[in-house]
Amino acid sequence: MKKIIFVLIILLPSAMWAQQSFEGKARYLVTHNWTKKLDAVPYISKQQKERSAYMWGNDSEWKLYNNLYFNATTSKFEDSEEKADPNDDNRWAGRKELFFMKRDFANNTMTDAMEFLGKNYLIEDEIPPINWKILNDLKEVAGHICMKAFAEDTLKNQNIVAWFAQDIPISAGPDRFSGLPGMILEIDINDGAMIMSVDKIELKKLTTEFDLPKKIKSKKINYAEYHDLETKFIKEKRKEESFPFWGIRY
Amino acid sequence: MKQLQALTIFLLLTHVVFSQNPSKVTIQGIIADTLGEDLPFATVMLLNPKDSALINFTRSDDKAAFSFKNIKNTEYLLKISYVGYLPYQQYLAPSVSELNDLGLVKIKPITQELLEVVIRTAKAPLSIRGDTIEYNASSFKVPPGSTVEDLLRRLPGIDVDADGNIKAQGKDIKKLYVDGKTFFGDDPKSATKNLDANIISKVQVFTEKSEQAKLTGIDDGKKDKAMNLELKEEYKKGSFGKVSAAAGTSDRWAARGNYNRFNKKEQFSVLGFANNINQTGVNWEDYGEFKGQNSFNNNDNGDFGFGGGGNYRYFNSDDSEIPFNNYDGRGFTKNAGTGVNYNYDNKKTKLSSSYFYNQTQLNLDQFSKRQTFLKDSSFYSTDTTGKSDFRSNHSVAVRFEHEFDSTNVLIVKGNLRFSQNNGETIQNQLFSKGNNVNTNSLYLNNGNDLNSLRFTSAAIFRHKFKKKGRSLAISGGYNDSNSDGTENLFSLNKFFQATTFTEQIRQLNTSANTTKQLKSSVLFTEPLSKKWFWESFYNFSNTNTQVNRQVNDPEKNNERVDKLSVFYDNSIQYNRLGSSLRYAHQGINITAGLAAQQLSLNGKYSIDKSLPLLTAPIDKKYTNLTPNVNANFELPNNKYLSFSYGYNVREPQINDLQPIPNVNNPAFRTEGNPNLRPERNHNASVGFNYWNPANFANMNLNVEYSKYDEQIIYSQTIENIDKVGIRTTTRPENLSGGQTVQTWLWMNYPIIKTKLTATANGGINFSKTPSKINNILNETTNNGGNIGLGINLTPNQKLILGLRGNIRFNNIEYSIQKEQNQKIRNQSLDASVKWNFAKKYYLESNFNYAAYKNERFGFDQKVPIWNLSVRRLFLKENKLEMRLAAFDLLNRQVNITQSGTQNYVITNTAQTLARYFMLSLTYNLRGHETKMNKGGHF
Repeated sequence: MKKIIFVLIILLPSAMWAQQSFEGKARYLVTHNWTKKLDAVPYISKQQKERSAYMWGNDSEWKLYNNLYFNATTSKFEDSEEKADPNDDNRWAGRKELFFMKRDFANNTMTDAMEFLGKNYLIEDEIPPINWKILNDLKEVAGHICMKAFAEDTLKNQNIVAWFAQDIPISAGPDRFSGLPGMILEIDINDGAMIMSVDKIELKKLTTEFDLPKKIKSKKINYAEYHDLETKFIKEKRKEESFPFWGIRY
Repeated sequence: MKQLQALTIFLLLTHVVFSQNPSKVTIQGIIADTLGEDLPFATVMLLNPKDSALINFTRSDDKAAFSFKNIKNTEYLLKISYVGYLPYQQYLAPSVSELNDLGLVKIKPITQELLEVVIRTAKAPLSIRGDTIEYNASSFKVPPGSTVEDLLRRLPGIDVDADGNIKAQGKDIKKLYVDGKTFFGDDPKSATKNLDANIISKVQVFTEKSEQAKLTGIDDGKKDKAMNLELKEEYKKGSFGKVSAAAGTSDRWAARGNYNRFNKKEQFSVLGFANNINQTGVNWEDYGEFKGQNSFNNNDNGDFGFGGGGNYRYFNSDDSEIPFNNYDGRGFTKNAGTGVNYNYDNKKTKLSSSYFYNQTQLNLDQFSKRQTFLKDSSFYSTDTTGKSDFRSNHSVAVRFEHEFDSTNVLIVKGNLRFSQNNGETIQNQLFSKGNNVNTNSLYLNNGNDLNSLRFTSAAIFRHKFKKKGRSLAISGGYNDSNSDGTENLFSLNKFFQATTFTEQIRQLNTSANTTKQLKSSVLFTEPLSKKWFWESFYNFSNTNTQVNRQVNDPEKNNERVDKLSVFYDNSIQYNRLGSSLRYAHQGINITAGLAAQQLSLNGKYSIDKSLPLLTAPIDKKYTNLTPNVNANFELPNNKYLSFSYGYNVREPQINDLQPIPNVNNPAFRTEGNPNLRPERNHNASVGFNYWNPANFANMNLNVEYSKYDEQIIYSQTIENIDKVGIRTTTRPENLSGGQTVQTWLWMNYPIIKTKLTATANGGINFSKTPSKINNILNETTNNGGNIGLGINLTPNQKLILGLRGNIRFNNIEYSIQKEQNQKIRNQSLDASVKWNFAKKYYLESNFNYAAYKNERFGFDQKVPIWNLSVRRLFLKENKLEMRLAAFDLLNRQVNITQSGTQNYVITNTAQTLARYFMLSLTYNLRGHETKMNKGGHF
């Protein structure tokens, strides 16, 4: 009897999910681990990495929430107003940076707005493809059974593990990641240096969530130009042998 | 021609080959489970069989059919995934026809137990690779000390019977491996019953050829279940350390060592040093490695209320039990210290404790020249001092933090310190009038011996209410310090133009001081809206100080000298109630508030503890309203702007209140003033900060202004007293009109990225200080500034060059004797080189040229200092370093300070460590850094 109930619990939601129109909001808990980020930079000396790991100990994590709005053809990823750190009591308000990443999967286009090295950019282009490799591992994220996919970012020197839901047939995902047969519910870069993991999915009718701000004070560029900026900066830091992820997104 | 023929044949051939397979293909099929049930809406993927790269994907439709139409005809790996089923994989060779119909593709459901694993072990991937199932051990919690067997009992799909026999999915585990290697003998139980579960990271279950088949080499088709235990890598565990010894000319030597061990929860470190090369303590890097995770602690300040501005000092700022290298450049020191630190952190509870002992023996010889201005004359004094001073400290510090739940946190801190200090100072002072006429000379020989014990403690409790943003914090603290000391004083005064030629004084002082402080603070925060907060706080403290200073005359049978002995009992009560409004939204943070504060001073004075009061008890209350404004703006492009204003009230120091003079030196008499009122001032500051992340250019500018309503100033009375000579008596008084303006600027700009950086710093300051000299009001203005320019050149990773110049000037003007106005100039030029001139060889050198000038004083001295060292790294991972260093090659080291205040100008010259050579060996467990430019962002 127990087993039957269990199977029902497992299968019912997915049956329900299969019927739904996939529209709603997913909240991602984003965890940055500075020690691990430093650890993943190959040219930084062992001494500096160990020193940093020892001094920061268990205090090297920084958490925040991001929201992903999605429907069958569109997604938009942005910062959440909610604070993920329980010790942050809102008494200090930092400046809100320009940031959103919008994907139109029907037309294969992206519209990203972000601050890069202190300047605002609006990137409009086709969605750059990611070379995903599909692996056999299974794991549950927020009640959904996910399959593992893997990709590599050779510029940023990142190993990216994605967990995509078998039962949410849309290609959306957090941050710059998308293009898998199911929605990406978790991203793990460099073994925990940065983890984005869904902790809540709400299916609901969206209204204005996909709208872009009317006025975006930024420089319009295409993806190739943005990629050039990134490449130039990271190569410069490599030459200087210093940590490259200050002022740019990980 | 032949080539063309070959090409034609080749083209024909390839055409023939490829014409067998169409270039495009349609792949289709229907998905069903092993019982034949259709599976609609399954994910179907085509991967590259070489690297599993995703090429195409689709879904099966409502009739469980799928198709990839008109795709490239090549080899594929077909992968199907469906909730509750094992991922299905099938190799597809290039199709011979344009339609590759796979028919019914049957996929297997995941067994109940395995599905449970996937669902239950949130965040813990269960891997299925072919027929291998992998469990992530860390997600199955077992109590510490559990064996692997206990762990296996918790894994779904695995059964362990009473005898310890293991079954996976109903089949016996025949073979057990640890990290892929056989673990003693054949019985899997020997490992599972003996290994600690905590060392296992993964458990893998798979099937392998039977032992029989492996032995005979004949595959009999029988398969056995086997298990592999993968051990944790434990990269968060380890140790590091360093030990070094150095010996040099002029009997110079140094030794130091440190060792650290750590794992995920604990950090342990020991540190020790001893030297006679003026390193009195540790530097910031040593401090960080010693304290580890506990180097910085936020939220440790229990004195709630307006931030900064020095409203009221609660805790000693020198709370750190670790001695920093605070050598001021004068004299010779012998130093030693050792300590041990332990930190524990399991995220809920943090404990850190440390013990440190350090000692310093200082031997100082210095010469100073001083000119003191009176209304229409001035006098000179020279002072030759020889000082021997020994200090030692034992210190124990404990900090405990516990998070009961997400709403309640408690922090408790305690620090106990025992200090000893003894020494002897011999001074020869010569006083003269302006025209080189000597009046008298004074010989002083003072010995002192002081023991003190200090205890400080604090507890802070923070609570968050259900309503978001509403919080309460309560703190309490108790501090207690005791000291006992004796002073043995001797002075001999010789007069050059008097009838009595010598005067001799002996004095034996004993002192016993105690201070007890009790305090508490409360802070309540109420959110008014998302952006507005209302904060209210209350501070209380009570400080009781008892000073018993008994002066005896050894020449008169150690009889008490009544006019110099004093016992006083002082209490200061502090109460402050304040409230402020806070606005916080998108980079704008503004707080404005007002507090009412009251200081009550109570004092009782008598000659000795049991004797009647000398004066009526002092009982004073000072009530003030203190406004406070703080604003911070985080602007786009990494610009930050801040502004603050505060009104500060600071109680007088206990020493300044005592009515009995201190005459340890007959020429300098210090008196207290029981009627002294608190110091009150307005303080405003503006700061601007800019940082460019693209090229690391940055700029910092700060301006601070203070205006005193009432300042505590030491007024002087300078008299020629019979049998004493020129005597200066200082007495604190409240004067108004003091003002200071200070500015700082610091800039850093890369001229050529990564290669050439320019730095500039500068500052301007003005101050106006009133003072009374022989009851005449004098105003000293000190206008000064400094500017520094430098460049850093890094042509490649092996060479770093630096050059910088600094000029500092001070113009000191006196209102009562304008002709005595002073101009002090200090200039310096510094050049440095770091060069990795051959593999594992490094050269480091710097040259500093400093010039000190005071024209009116006729003072002009130049000090060139040149240091040079060469080092080589040895052994694997560069664990050993040998360094030959030369300090002060030109043998010109001397310490010079020049300053001018109130009514005098002083120039100090002190002997210190000059030229010596040193050879040192350092062994570093984690190897020496081979990079010269340590990126210092962490």
